[in-house]
Amino acid sequence: MKKLIEVRNLNIAYAGPSGWTNVVQDVSFEIARGEAFGLVGESGCGKSTVAYRLLGYGTINSFVQTGEVLFDGVDLLKLGPASLTRLRGNRIALVPQNPTTSLSPGMRVGPQIREMIATHKALPDDTTMERRIVELFALVGLPDVGHRYPHELSGGQQQRVTIAMAVACNPDLLVLDEPTTGLDVTTQRQIIQLLSDLRARIGMAMLYVTHDLALLAQIANRVGVMYAGQLVEVAASDKLLSAPAHPYSRGLIASIPTMDGTDRQTRGLRGVLRRDQMSTGCKFEPRCDFATTACRTTPQALELIADARSVACMRWRDAATQQLPAVVAGPHGRTAARSERLLSVADLSLSYQRPSIVDKFLGRTTHSVVRDIDLELRAGEVVALVGESGSGKSTIARAISGRLPPRSGAITLEDGPLSPALDGRSAEHLRQIQYIFQNPDASLNPRSSIRSILERPLKHFGIPADGKTLETVLESVGLHAGYLDRIPDQLSGGERQRIAIARALLVNPKLLICDEILSALDVSVQARIVELLRSLKEKHDVAMLFISHDLAVVQQLADRVAVLYHGELMQMSETASLLTAPLHPYTEMLLEAAPSLRKDGHVSRPPATPTLKATPGIGCPFAGRCPRQPGSLCADTRPPIQETGSGFVRCHLPIDGLGRHARSPQHMRSPAVEDMRLQSL
Amino acid sequence: MSVARLLFSRILFSALTLLLVSILIFLILEALPGDVATRILGRDATAKALEVLRSQLHLNQPALVRYFQWIGDFLRGDLGVSIATGRPIADVLAPRILNTLLLSLLAFAIYLVLALVPAIIQAVNRGKAVDNVISVITLLLLSLPDFLLATMLLFLFAVAVPILPALATISETSTWQETLRAMVLPAVTLAIMMAVYAIRVLRDSLIEVLRSDYVRLAELKGLRPRAVLFRHALPNAIVPALNVTALNLGFLIGGVVIVERVFSYPGFGTLLIDALQLRDIPLIKATVMISAAVYVAANLVADVLAVLLQPRLRTSR
Repeated sequence: MKKLIEVRNLNIAYAGPSGWTNVVQDVSFEIARGEAFGLVGESGCGKSTVAYRLLGYGTINSFVQTGEVLFDGVDLLKLGPASLTRLRGNRIALVPQNPTTSLSPGMRVGPQIREMIATHKALPDDTTMERRIVELFALVGLPDVGHRYPHELSGGQQQRVTIAMAVACNPDLLVLDEPTTGLDVTTQRQIIQLLSDLRARIGMAMLYVTHDLALLAQIANRVGVMYAGQLVEVAASDKLLSAPAHPYSRGLIASIPTMDGTDRQTRGLRGVLRRDQMSTGCKFEPRCDFATTACRTTPQALELIADARSVACMRWRDAATQQLPAVVAGPHGRTAARSERLLSVADLSLSYQRPSIVDKFLGRTTHSVVRDIDLELRAGEVVALVGESGSGKSTIARAISGRLPPRSGAITLEDGPLSPALDGRSAEHLRQIQYIFQNPDASLNPRSSIRSILERPLKHFGIPADGKTLETVLESVGLHAGYLDRIPDQLSGGERQRIAIARALLVNPKLLICDEILSALDVSVQARIVELLRSLKEKHDVAMLFISHDLAVVQQLADRVAVLYHGELMQMSETASLLTAPLHPYTEMLLEAAPSLRKDGHVSRPPATPTLKATPGIGCPFAGRCPRQPGSLCADTRPPIQETGSGFVRCHLPIDGLGRHARSPQHMRSPAVEDMRLQSL
Repeated sequence: MSVARLLFSRILFSALTLLLVSILIFLILEALPGDVATRILGRDATAKALEVLRSQLHLNQPALVRYFQWIGDFLRGDLGVSIATGRPIADVLAPRILNTLLLSLLAFAIYLVLALVPAIIQAVNRGKAVDNVISVITLLLLSLPDFLLATMLLFLFAVAVPILPALATISETSTWQETLRAMVLPAVTLAIMMAVYAIRVLRDSLIEVLRSDYVRLAELKGLRPRAVLFRHALPNAIVPALNVTALNLGFLIGGVVIVERVFSYPGFGTLLIDALQLRDIPLIKATVMISAAVYVAANLVADVLAVLLQPRLRTSR
């Protein structure tokens, strides 16, 4: 195949307060026409910097760069602004990471596509602009949404719009910057499916940047693994995933939680990428299990080890053969079933709108975001709350933490009722329930030292503390006393999340509410925080309400799982039985969407009856999207609760009929699900 | 929330604000020490003359009745009679308001240019020398009191380099060229005073928007820099500056008083000062109410514009 893009010895360095930082070092790779190349690595490894250089884009301030980025033989790094403008969007297009912030908020999406086609005069002769835009929407599986503003579309639809935009001028190369990171598993799957489909149809090349190897398995032909600005391994994606050669690749793959339950031959990565702790030789040496003294001083460069496969490690043969003690995965020590009830939630209904006087007068009822939630947690038990975004997971957590007084229902802690509002709760109740937020960057005061962040809850609750208390708690989250005098800015994302966990632990809570606490972190960091949470649960008997959309993590940590859809509990079950026999059609759908490390050719199931809309509060909310629903019964009648061995299922179908569904391989790429959401707007 | 509903609630709040203002003015003027009639006629006035004036001014009636009478007349468009001149206030006000309106419009037009151009230049060249120089100049102007700026401009362009008239006196017989020439200095003074705030706000918000993901995507779509700036960056950056502009209009009302005084421009501001000096209470009430109404209306317009520029606000509460 002919090379479309060729990166040769790319070096990029920024001037920082402490001298030069090499963001990218000697990176070379090429992408052939029509090929999908993946670039993977932890945050801060320089993968995005490389990707944006392929668009000739980067901050001009204070950096030096050498090397070449040849696109069709032209060096993009030497092109002037005018020539770059002609290439961008036209021949090299970008699908951005976050569609919500990447679409211009004050402009309808149609004109945003139109201006791009108009600028590049890329309208085919035989069609009109309006027809072309509708055609592009159809290509990405959207109805004509051109007259809508970005905020009127869901995240998945917004990403479809940016993809439609990116392919509007039939580019030769598509640069994708973590295009599915912010999306639900099911939506993620649909987007991946759409992208592979588009590639097959249009035949453009792709550079796919991500930290998610499982996604690359689904879409990339070849993958480059980056560490600290260098490519450490380049290989065909199936080869890389099945037999990684570089110790870093091995660690990265081992860190990914999977649900197939295979025994791990390797263990996850330790430490984090720190630019200030790097040896003069191999960059990965401080974290490498195979490192020798020679590694510390000998710089490593990519060398060809097999056909189309290269590795930058002089000990790759040893690494590939040596076996390391496996870390036992899966939840263990299930003591929870015996212990006492800690928290119970009965008939909980929540709403963000307070009914106004007019509504009350007219007898109108406002829509509840969450309905009829019954939930129980025992001491030391981890219950996972899973579901897509908007399903009400965080809303339930808000109610339990007292930040959203429920419309109806009761929350009980141990044996006493819990006041619905925060200011009605006693200090003791407040201490017993601690909350850890999704984003540690935003939940720690950037101006306080770690010491004062940790001391505050102690002072507030009047908990006696000696000099050792803080050190002990830092140790329990895997940090040391040296962190006390730092400020959050000097910590990495994973370290900050550990501080947030330490802060919650200091006051000896009985219940931790973990609201998507892993989603902002790299896989290697995730793996270690899961380890940490598991030991907390076992050693300190802390119960957790673990909110997540990542079923693989849930499998490692949770005793029981509650599946939420549109504010209603669809299923409640013990983790193992839920994952092996999902029963509820929605659980089934969630499980199917979770990516595995093998190319699985997953196709999203189209909804059986997209036109069916459930009566709010009465019918099953999943009715229209359910591939198995028997008829209009689902939309009009409240599904009964059916007891199962370890929990319940809310579904009209009898339990015997559930879970043994013959999967019909319908190769329809219908995003009709989103159309439905659109129609309900 | 639909635009209509938003408009309705904002108008309701504006009306409520004005009602409160009217009560406040009335109370303040009522609380002034001494008898109004004595103040107007002087200490030597006869008891009979005082009595006549009091009944003319309805001072014999309780305050509540007088308030409702005043506000009722006001709403019907009857602003009362100026005590000092004896002419209907509407007749006194009308030409002055027209003059000030002309001055304000000119000042506002100059303001828009003076605010937008430097802010855009700064944001596009952030961190460079141009940015710093403009920053220093705006800071300097920001710290100058308005009457000093007015006097400096007066000295520069009317005395040192006499290209513009020092006194902005105009009358009904002035030609429009004369009127325009007379208005330039006061208008520029007002515009500068308003623009310095707006430049700083607009520069910062524009820099933030230029760093946003959607501007980056617009650049990477291959749009020309001008399209990126004017179609994607500016409309979103202007929203914070809108609020400043609304506050600026409030300043304009206050600034007009001082600037008109310095340049002896026969506008609304000089009238207000005259009314205060002459203790012409009906005139004071009318002028204050009108300036309050202008201020409230300006904020209303800014709110509605912000919603129109940010479609997201239309649907979220």
